[in-house]
Amino acid sequence: MSDPKIEGYTFKPGFRGMAEDTGSDQTMFKGVQWGKVMMWIFLLSDTFIFSCFLISYMKGRASTVVDWPNTSEVFSLHVGGVPVPLLLIAIMTFVLITSSGTMALAVKYGYEKNRKMCGWLILATAIGGLTFVGMQAFEWSKLIHEGVRPWENPFGAKQFGSFFFMITGFHGTHVSIGVIFLFIFARKVFKGDFDNGKRGFFTTMKSDYVAIEILGLYWHFVDLVWVFIFAFFYLW
Amino acid sequence: MSDEYNQQNTPLEAQSSENMSGSSGETTKDIDYVRPAEVPDQDLYHGHSFLTKWVFCQDAKVIGIQYFLTAVFTGIVGLILSWLMRLQLGYPDLVPFITAEHYYQFVTMHGMIMVVYFLTALFLGGFGNYLIPLMVGARDMVFPYVNMVSFWMFFIAVCVLMASFFVPGGPTGAGWTLYPPQAILSGTPGANMGITLMLISLSLFVIGFTMGGLNYIITILQARTRGMTLMRMPLTIWGIFTATALAMLAFPALLVSCIMMTLDKMLGTSFFMPAILQAGEVLSYGGGSPVLFQHLFWFFGHPEVYIVALPAFGIVSDLISVHARKNIFGYRMMVWAIVGIGALSFFVWAHHMYVSGMNPWFGFFFATTTLIIAVPTALKVYNWIITLFRANIRMNVVMLFCLGFIVTFVNGGITGIFLGNVAVDIPLSDTYFVIAHFHMVMGIAPLMVIMGAVYHWFPLVTGRMLSEKLGKWHFWFTFLGAYSIYFPMHYLGFIGVPRRYFEMYDSPYVTSATGMNEFITVAALIVGAAQLIFIYNIVTSIKIGKPAGKNPWKANSLEWLTPDVPPTHGNFGEKLPAVHRWPYDFNVPGAKEDYITQTTPPSEVINAEVEKT
Amino acid sequence: MDNIENKEQSTTHKIGIYLWIWGLLFVLSFFSYMVDWFAFQGLLRWSLILTFMFLKAGLIMAFFMHLFWERYALVNVLLWPMTAIACFIILMVAEAQYTVFTRLLYFFTGG
Repeated sequence: MSDPKIEGYTFKPGFRGMAEDTGSDQTMFKGVQWGKVMMWIFLLSDTFIFSCFLISYMKGRASTVVDWPNTSEVFSLHVGGVPVPLLLIAIMTFVLITSSGTMALAVKYGYEKNRKMCGWLILATAIGGLTFVGMQAFEWSKLIHEGVRPWENPFGAKQFGSFFFMITGFHGTHVSIGVIFLFIFARKVFKGDFDNGKRGFFTTMKSDYVAIEILGLYWHFVDLVWVFIFAFFYLW
Repeated sequence: MSDEYNQQNTPLEAQSSENMSGSSGETTKDIDYVRPAEVPDQDLYHGHSFLTKWVFCQDAKVIGIQYFLTAVFTGIVGLILSWLMRLQLGYPDLVPFITAEHYYQFVTMHGMIMVVYFLTALFLGGFGNYLIPLMVGARDMVFPYVNMVSFWMFFIAVCVLMASFFVPGGPTGAGWTLYPPQAILSGTPGANMGITLMLISLSLFVIGFTMGGLNYIITILQARTRGMTLMRMPLTIWGIFTATALAMLAFPALLVSCIMMTLDKMLGTSFFMPAILQAGEVLSYGGGSPVLFQHLFWFFGHPEVYIVALPAFGIVSDLISVHARKNIFGYRMMVWAIVGIGALSFFVWAHHMYVSGMNPWFGFFFATTTLIIAVPTALKVYNWIITLFRANIRMNVVMLFCLGFIVTFVNGGITGIFLGNVAVDIPLSDTYFVIAHFHMVMGIAPLMVIMGAVYHWFPLVTGRMLSEKLGKWHFWFTFLGAYSIYFPMHYLGFIGVPRRYFEMYDSPYVTSATGMNEFITVAALIVGAAQLIFIYNIVTSIKIGKPAGKNPWKANSLEWLTPDVPPTHGNFGEKLPAVHRWPYDFNVPGAKEDYITQTTPPSEVINAEVEKT
Repeated sequence: MDNIENKEQSTTHKIGIYLWIWGLLFVLSFFSYMVDWFAFQGLLRWSLILTFMFLKAGLIMAFFMHLFWERYALVNVLLWPMTAIACFIILMVAEAQYTVFTRLLYFFTGG
């Protein structure tokens, strides 16, 4: 999407453009609606939360004198008697990236006012999210069955279980909240609320297709956090 | 009116300060031109029932007052706790109710309430909500519903915190820094429900202030009125804005540390808990790192103190310039100093941890960054003083509080230099010197600003003036009293009196410090009582104060230019203002009056030597 | 929600770009998984993990989250605060090394 048209303002690219935008009156982020800026800054704050979690995990893991469990073994699935390392995680990553893709397409079709494609793609994203949470719950139950607890585990350092449940728990909660909103928005799209500008139940503000982009930003953020968790917790 | 400019007669670019130097080549036909509005007027929610108009109100002004009153209530609780502490320190065993456990609980709750629930909530929630939309020319915050929810989250957080006074075991006595492992072990007061409620309350506070913070930032960045560039905003807004940005980025670390400590307590995880004995019994913890909590806490904690200080810096700049009838000296550098202090505040946190047993090499890094952050801070002090130099100073109550701020802040800031150096900090750490430092710089100085700000903006909020006579009594009691409390503490610190001690025991301090402790206690009780003058002033002036009319201080910024005083829902009536200048055009040579409001078009002051802003 | 007429209506991207990035993400995820399958160790393992991670993160942020096309001001506001996180990470690495050093020193060698 190119820069939007604003009366009385000429857009410049790059650093010069940033200086002009920052120095101008009324808005700093030209043409960006309030809801979108809100989501971006909220995501910045949420990034700091997950960064603090992962930094604590790094510090905790790097300072144990007890060995850290071997993640390839702990997180492997047995398929026909053969242990496949990180199989469940690979499938979960696949599912989440797929849902990210469907969300990006949903945003595109939303702006093109193609309600059917947009609605079905949002539903597909929601299903992907549900599948992810389901697999995460399965992984939790498998590990709990094997004796992993927040306070201890049979595989190695005590902190393994605590960091695992805490970090994946917070991530899974974020995914679940996203799924709920995806279902709500799918319904709003099919009903045509974004075309009509119907007022929201809580905020009484008018709806607009930018809301789907805003939800999309949240969903991509959830995927982004998973990229980091996957790399640092499971792979490292 | 040239403000109703809708068509484009001239091919002009945005009228920001960068473009004023006539890059278009031709002489501008209309010097009053301001760019048209980028977005349509805001869609506001109007409540109709009592609940939606006064309780769950979405008007930022009402929300601001709700924050203000709730924060002041918690502040009064904190103040009473401080009297109880001083009673014990000045006259040990006079009040048998104050046992050692109770004393530590008072210390903890006083600290947490004052820093977080009183000062942060007051500056960001109270002043921020009321002043931001008015000063940037918006009708309300950008997300009024979320704003309303944010206040009620804060209210619930305060309720949970106050509830901790009434649970078995009482509130936590771990110190406001809540260091593990002691905070959740049985030797510390409130180690059962008290600490849990504290952690829950802090988490709710963070969630609420994230919602509020989003509102403040986006209103300032995206909802300014026509002509209002960032460099035309009053410094009050710059201070609150930067503080909010810090809050958005620092509170996550607090939330994370609270969550992890809650898990350590409730689920027996070992994030922060090492292998440890509790009253001779080996606990099942192991492998955790207490210093990790300290790093997380202070990664939050240091930006937090700037969240308290920066709005005070911004507000005092505006108060000084209005009441000295002079533009703030070096506005641009003041802005950069605020932003620079904000950015640097993320790189200095471990100067609170020099004696914690952290990696010994960190002292070099953090002492360096700490001394660097002193530079923009000192720059601001110089600029305030230069602003006052040869100004037309009105020595009213507001100005007195500003002067009080400068004196106490310089005092507190200089002692900060002592503490920022590792070697000097080692004997002074955990002594009364530290207490003197942070009370001066974070307690007294911002409090002076708060009081001055109340005297300054009371006429706007209520339409009446506060009594100057009562105000002067209030100021002198508070200022001289506060100095009497905290100046002697520097000496107590030098001779080594430790902080957070319930009593002095049988030590050399008994003879040398007793008199001073008594003096401080008496001063504290007198200053506390003097605040009744302030409360009396406020309560009576609402009914019988002198009617203020519009803009009684003859200030320039937009909050004084509303059609109604006090401002009503929607702030500016039919049309939003158009801004042509910064808010510091005082005593401009050639102008008719000694002030030029932000909305005065250039054509009305053609003969004045107005600065290009 | 604040209302701007649908300026973006005629300027959405073609579906192709999303499919390309999507494919790239799968490829990079596959490579990350291969790092574990082939059981690389040490510096090679860590540098590969980090490289693939940052590439994936970058693609998601730039194209799915649209930052490639947003105004430079927004991109800067979002990315500069990461320097505080980077400082925190570096210092916590040093702290962790110091912690494990003191633990080995005091618990195992008797200090």
